[in-house]
Amino acid sequence: MEQFSLQIVTPDGVSFSGGAERLVVRTIEGDVCILANHVQYLTALGTGTARVTVDGETRRAACAGGMLAVTRDSGGKSSVRLAATTFEWAEDIDAARAQRAKERAEELLQHAHDRHEQSVAQARLNRALTRLGAAGK
Amino acid sequence: MSGGASMKDIKLRIKSVESTMQITKAMELVASSKLNKAKLRVERSRPYFTLLHQTLAEIAEANTEFSSAYVQRREVKKRCVVLIAGDRGLAGGYNSNLFKLAAEKMQGAPCCALPVGKKAVEFCRLHGVEAITGAFSLAEDVSVSDCFAMSRLLCEGFLAGEFDELMVCYTNFVSMLSQSPAALGMLPLSPKMRRRGSAAPRQLVLYEPGSEAVYDAIVPGYLAGMLWGALCESFASEVAARRMAMDAASKNAAEMIEDLNLRYNRARQGAITQEITEIVAGAEE
Repeated sequence: MEQFSLQIVTPDGVSFSGGAERLVVRTIEGDVCILANHVQYLTALGTGTARVTVDGETRRAACAGGMLAVTRDSGGKSSVRLAATTFEWAEDIDAARAQRAKERAEELLQHAHDRHEQSVAQARLNRALTRLGAAGK
Repeated sequence: MSGGASMKDIKLRIKSVESTMQITKAMELVASSKLNKAKLRVERSRPYFTLLHQTLAEIAEANTEFSSAYVQRREVKKRCVVLIAGDRGLAGGYNSNLFKLAAEKMQGAPCCALPVGKKAVEFCRLHGVEAITGAFSLAEDVSVSDCFAMSRLLCEGFLAGEFDELMVCYTNFVSMLSQSPAALGMLPLSPKMRRRGSAAPRQLVLYEPGSEAVYDAIVPGYLAGMLWGALCESFASEVAARRMAMDAASKNAAEMIEDLNLRYNRARQGAITQEITEIVAGAEE
């Protein structure tokens, strides 16, 4: 399959840089799949599992917040840039910690007093569930 | 006679210079160890910083939709400057260079500021610049989540019309030996002047779900990322500048001690010679 250049960065460093065949991420609107020669594109990321396919092999990651941009240079070559707030490869996720975080978030959610607390707890729960989902096979 | 008194004086001065040198040496060591960590952090955050900036600049350049408030250029009634400086002095020209640039950028329109670092807070108080918040007075302790809090605050202010332009003044970490202050325009997200007749035809960008929703979702994160990057750069610059300044100070102190030792020995010799002359003169009588 044709490859495109993909860069994935977070404030903590570069998570991926190189050629890829396919990228699937969760945006604020739902999952999108990016293939080579995509049109120029800009969207914001939600919280969800991301999948990157390189040479037929798919890696999973937990991805939250940030943006996804497909740009084209003057030569017509497209490059895909994913600037995420957090991006963790499945093999780097501590499943036990995510499980604990999930339980804590659930507890917080039950005892939330106002809408702000509730939304914070909900966001935490979502992140923990995403991590668990990405880490699980 | 004067020789003895001045010998004592010189001895005292040597002692005081020595203890000052001990302090500058210790500060240099502390700065070096912090520098290693800060340098690592800059190297890690830099790809994110440059990629965010580059992508948004390219997209703003090609943008043809102005439905989001973040991309609309308004008349500048008030400017907001995020001022990232150090917490402490004794870092060479680090703080003063930045403030010189900031003062230049603040001219022309009324300004408010978001100071980060104790020195920046002091600068605002001294120059009568209104500070939006003093919550980030310690530049060393600011974390990624603090950057998100800052960005939320700034976005709210921008959308509420409290200011019409946002820029960040920080210090670029060029290398261990050189740091340059810089100012980056953040909001609104449209280039000041469109390059006319640029070679490439403007390419249309697909926004999903729509340009307004996308910008509204992206900008706070973008701002936080840029602030974090600028903060990492600034902190590394600060410790690098401090290390250099302290290195120079230690060298100066060593030179001074050498010079004072020479003077001390000369005074001692003078005193001995005088004593001998007095004894010889007494014996002759």
